[in-house]
Parts: sequence; structure tokens; C-alpha cells
Amino acid sequence: MIPISYNVRSLFVRKATTIATALGIALVVFVLASSLMLSAGIERTMGRSGSPSNAIVLRKGSDAELSSNFESRLVSLILAAPGVKKDETGAPLGAGEVMVVVALEKIGDEPGRVSNVQVRGVTDNVLKVRPEARVIVGRAPKPGSDEAMIGKSIRGRFAGVDLDSSFELKKNRRVKVVGVFEAQGSSSESEIWTDIDTLRNSLGREGLVSSVTARLESDSKATFDAFSATVQNDKQLGLEALRQSTYFEKSSENTAVFISALGISITVIFSLGAIIGAVITMYAAVAQRQREIGTLRALGFSRLTILSSFLLESVVLALVGGVVGGLAALCMSFVRFSMMNFATWSEIVFSFEPTVPIIVTSIVVGAVMGVLGGVFPAVRAARVSPIDAMRA
Amino acid sequence: MRLSALGVRNVLRNRARTVLTILGVAVAIVAFMALRTVLTSWTEAVNHAAKDRIATRHKITFVMTLPKRYVDDVRSTPGVVKATFSNWFGGQNPKNENEFFATIAVEPQSFLEVFDEIQVPADQRESWLQNRRGAVVGDVLAKKFGWKVGDRVTLKGTIYPGNWEFDISGIYTATRRSVDRSTFWFHWDYLNESVDARSKDQIGWIAARIDKPEAAAQIAKRIDTHFDEKDIQTLSMSERALNTSFLGMFTTVLKAMDVVSIVILLIMMLILGNTIAMGVRERTNEYGVLRAIGFLPKHIALFVVGEAITIGALGGLVGILLSYPLVENGIGRWLEENMGGFFPYFRIADGTTVAAALLSLGLGALAAAIPAYRASKLDVIDALRRIG
Repeated sequence: MIPISYNVRSLFVRKATTIATALGIALVVFVLASSLMLSAGIERTMGRSGSPSNAIVLRKGSDAELSSNFESRLVSLILAAPGVKKDETGAPLGAGEVMVVVALEKIGDEPGRVSNVQVRGVTDNVLKVRPEARVIVGRAPKPGSDEAMIGKSIRGRFAGVDLDSSFELKKNRRVKVVGVFEAQGSSSESEIWTDIDTLRNSLGREGLVSSVTARLESDSKATFDAFSATVQNDKQLGLEALRQSTYFEKSSENTAVFISALGISITVIFSLGAIIGAVITMYAAVAQRQREIGTLRALGFSRLTILSSFLLESVVLALVGGVVGGLAALCMSFVRFSMMNFATWSEIVFSFEPTVPIIVTSIVVGAVMGVLGGVFPAVRAARVSPIDAMRA
Repeated sequence: MRLSALGVRNVLRNRARTVLTILGVAVAIVAFMALRTVLTSWTEAVNHAAKDRIATRHKITFVMTLPKRYVDDVRSTPGVVKATFSNWFGGQNPKNENEFFATIAVEPQSFLEVFDEIQVPADQRESWLQNRRGAVVGDVLAKKFGWKVGDRVTLKGTIYPGNWEFDISGIYTATRRSVDRSTFWFHWDYLNESVDARSKDQIGWIAARIDKPEAAAQIAKRIDTHFDEKDIQTLSMSERALNTSFLGMFTTVLKAMDVVSIVILLIMMLILGNTIAMGVRERTNEYGVLRAIGFLPKHIALFVVGEAITIGALGGLVGILLSYPLVENGIGRWLEENMGGFFPYFRIADGTTVAAALLSLGLGALAAAIPAYRASKLDVIDALRRIG
């Protein structure tokens, strides 16, 4: 076995070339890790929005809350279905909600631009129905008042969407922001929550709801099936029940696929470039060290040992690049990324979510690029004839 | 032999390495051009959007509709020539629910007048106007679902529940690049007569042709001021401003792609610079000889830069030649068919090709800067003494 320190020192001797090649690989790993982190962030944001023990009821045939609406009188019928959890007073833990998207003016880095924000009309038991949400600044809006609380992700991103500011839901009807809430990183953090009647009255949607969200007694299949059977049984009502987690998975699919597809196709092209860079570097390394290789062969090292030694050198080179790229990608977790949510046509804020598997995968991909880039040069090194090489 | 020719000749010394480097540069150029084309064709929809059309919608939210009588008010607003109205229908093809396409209810006569870039053959146009259940679809959509003129199709309504039957009366093409060729247009009357009382005589938005494009902002303001006193206020803007604001939601994605297209150029420079640096190191002896027989440092630098520019140019050329079939036929066709709303016209812009060509030359020279500087600063004695 040729000691690995031989390879490491060889890399040190040609500092500039080593740095250039490793940097190339680092950039690829960085881009790959960042895009994987972003799709993980999207999945986390959307995935955490849904719990398997919650159910959402929509009008049958509508694929999102935005296109769903039905009469509010159905809400109490739905909440009377079996499996709905009750609070200490015996009231069902569930509510009919209204969801709209509202055009608001952006502030901060893009002033003057109008963008869509999701506004949810909620009932006064919202914090019980959505226990993941917690008011972190200010207070929850008073029932029946023209007050709102905002998700922490969109705070300060739109005109009037900040504590003690106000925005318009109708001419001369301003809604005041009295609180900021967090919801464990879920997509609710990109929403504004107002009183359901305030929202309905301002938009002329009296008597309608978009959806009903209900907490179930357990996440078991039996509980959900019993609930959904009751809700869907009456064909006249034309309703459809989904587990909240299924609903959010479905609605985040397009957005997550879009980012992953974009990120992965870019990575594939980039890694082609970086592999070529590694091939060039390793070929040069082999060419320059003909004599050394010849000497090693003469000393009795086998072809296989030479081959694995050069392959190892390439992998070490790639690993250095991979680790640098992976570390750089970790810094992206401080960056927030806002994008349109294809399901609601409104803006949603994502973060880059670093996970151990993502970082490991990216570094492994870096190492694989080292193997791919090193294999042909290593074969050439193994073929060096000791006599020719030492004579050269 | 001319000095620059000598530099070019050096390219042929290590052919395998040169070929690999050219390939590396070419890959980077393909990636660069593909990313740039995504950016340019995304903004294409904005640049080609009509300046002489104003869209009017509900001020607060596009989810809510406007009363149909608003159209007459818009029509009588000074500056407005014609106006039409539409409703977002949100239909799905039950045979393929995951395939997204726009389904919009329109008033055919006024619609075709206001949107005159939509081309429907005269006989199909006539049959659409006659048939209340008639629909006109884009050529891309018709191809995707295998629909032909005369077919009866059923769509599932996501906003207006139920199954809706339509006859395909015609297939449209467009003269303007900003038009999505996968839209499904049908009679607003057909929708209106079948909905419940609450949704009757409601429209999603109004599109108005104006006489002077430069007055778009004033006319939009005039419309909004008019409705300001009514129970539902409106938000009007030119079609171009509307598209810009839609694009605004993707600003971060666009920015990210911008950054990534610069990163790929960095990778290209690393590959190219690496190759040049290796060549310089191997030829240290020769440069010593050249200096000893009287060549000046600037001549040595010229050799190195000349070689880098040659490789850069060759790589750039290969990359550009590969990009056209790959980007326009491969990715482009897929995007136009599947994401026509975003990329109605996915073609490489001339500016992109020029930029790619200039960058491959310029960055080639830049990548050679350090090796060239080093080579020119070599001490003759050291260079001659050093063994490759």
C-alpha cells in the first residue's frame, strides 16, 4: 500500500491546480446542497402545515381552499361527525374558515411591487384548532373586531403588515395588526389571520366558508375513515374530506418539484464541468509523475496499488472540494427565499433547511465526481512501464 | 513565425488536455445559455405584452368577482376603444387531472376584437360564435390532449362544480410571443346560464383596448377613480404592468438563476485557468530559452494569453453550436408544451449568444492572467535551470 500521505503531499506541491480543481467541485457541491436544502425547506414548510390527525373538508371537486366554498350552515353538521375531538367544555375542536388572497404592496427590497398574500378568516378558537400556532408578539385579535395577527415570515415584507400597522380589506375599512404568531415553520407563517366575519363582510362573502378544519381524536385510519364517511356520505352536501397532511403534500407538490427539477438539472450540467476539471488535473498529475510512478513500480508496487493510489488522490481532492462546498451551503440556512406558491398564487417564504442526509449526500456526490474524474488517469498511471518511465 | 500564431500552435501540444478543456468550456457555455434563456424567455412574456391594453380586477383580491355592468362603465371611459371581460373557470381534464391549463370564459365577439393577436381561421371563428357550447383551444393544448375540431370534450369544474361539456369549435395560434398556446376559451354565456344566483352576472376581470398606449397609466387611474365610489373598488393596470407584477413573485428565483449563471462561468474559468497554468508550468524551460534569445516578458505573456483565448473561443463555439439543438428543441419544446404559461416562447435570444461568445473569449483571457503574469516574470536563469 502506498501511504496516503504521498498523495496528500503531491496535492500540496501543486497548490494552485489543487485549489482550482477543488474549488470547481466545491461550487458544484454548493449548488447541489443549496437546491436540496431549498426543496427540503419547501417540504418542511408545507409538510409541517399538515398534521395527519387533522382533517380538512373542501367542496368536492375543488383542489384547493382557494377554489372551494360552501354554505356556513354545513360547518356544524361537519363538526358533529364522529371522531372530532372535543375541548374541555365539550365544544368540537374545529372551525369553518375563509381563505382569500389579497394584493398588497411590497416593501423592503422591492418597493412598489404588488404581490399576493393569503388571508385566512378564522374563528376565536383558532389557537385551539391549530395548536402549532403561538402568539409571540402582541396578542391575538379580539373576536368580531377589525384586528389581525400575522405570520412571522411575512412581518415587514408588505405595506401595513407589521405590528401596530394596518392594511385595507375594503375601502375605508382598515384592519389593524395586533399580534405576530409563529407556527413551527409551517406555511401558516406566511399568512394573515383575521376574524372570519370581518373578512367575509368586507368582501361580500357572507354565509360562505372555504373549508372546515377539524382536529380528530387520533391519527388512526379508522378515526379518519369514520369521519370522512359521514362527511362524504350525504351526496347532496357535495363535500370531500382529506387528511390535512395529504392536502398539503398535494398542494406543495408542484412548487417542490419545480425547485428540485431546476436544482438537479443545473447540478448535473455543473458536475459534468467539474468532472472534466478533475480529469484534466489528474491527467496532468500522472503525466508529471511518470518517473515517480516508474520508480514505485520498480520498487515492487503492483499496478493495482498504483491505480488505487491515484484514484485515492482524486477522491481526496474531490472530498476537500465537497467539504468546502457543503460548509458554504450551510451558510445558506440564514437566507430566506420567497416564491410564489403554485397552489395559492400567493407568496410564501421558505428557508434553506440543512439536514444531515443532504450534506452527506452532497459530499458523497463530490467524492463520486473525484472517482469519475480520477479513473481514466489512474488507469493510465497503472499502465506506466517502469523501464520506459525511469529512462524518460 | 508570428508570435500569436505560436501561441495558437501551443494549443495542439497536449491534445487530450485541449479537447477536455474545450469540452469543459463548452459544457459551461451550454449551461450558461440554457439558464440565460430561461431568464430571457420568462421576461419575454413581459416585453411582448400589449401596452395598449388595460386589465381591471377586484381591488383587494382576484378571488372575488366584479358585477358584469362594470364593463359598460369601462367602455364609456374616455380613452377606452373596446372592452371585453373574462372569468377564470378552473377546469380540469378528467382524464388527466394533473395537467394544468387555463380555462377562461369569455364573450367571443368582443374578446377576439380586443385580443387581435389570437388567430382563429374564419370558418372556425364563425362556428364558435354560433355554438354556445363551443370552445377555442391553443394548438399546443390540442396536440397534448389529441383534440380535433368537432370533438366533444368534458371538463371538471374546480370552481364551478360539475362536469361541463364543450364542443371544440376551433384551434387558435398567436401572432404575439407572449400568448400562452395552451388556453381553453369558451362562451361566458354558457357559464352564466348554468351557475347559481350568487354567481350570476359576475365577471373576473375586464380587458380594455385604449387609444394611446402612453396614456395607459392615466386611463387606468381614470377607471379606478370611477369605481372608487362604487361598492366594489377596482385595480387597473396595463397588461405589461400586470405581467411584471406576476413576475415579481418569482424575483428570488430569477435572482438565484442569475447568480447560478455567474457561478457556472466561474467554474469555466477555473477549468481553463487550470489548464493554462499546467501548460505554463510544463513549459517553464522553453520560456527561459525564449527569454534568453531576446523575447521580452510581454511576448511570453502574449503566448499564454493567446493560447487561452484560442481554447476559450473553440469551447465557446462548440458550446454555442450545441446549445441551439439542446436548448431550443430539447428543453424548449418541453417547456413550451408543459409550462406555456411561463414560457410561451422559449428561444435563445441573440443577446445571449453574443454574450456567450464574448464571455468565452474574455474569461479565457482573464483566466490566463495569473499564469501569463507569472510566466512573464520568470527569471531567465531560474527558468532554464528548473526541470519540468
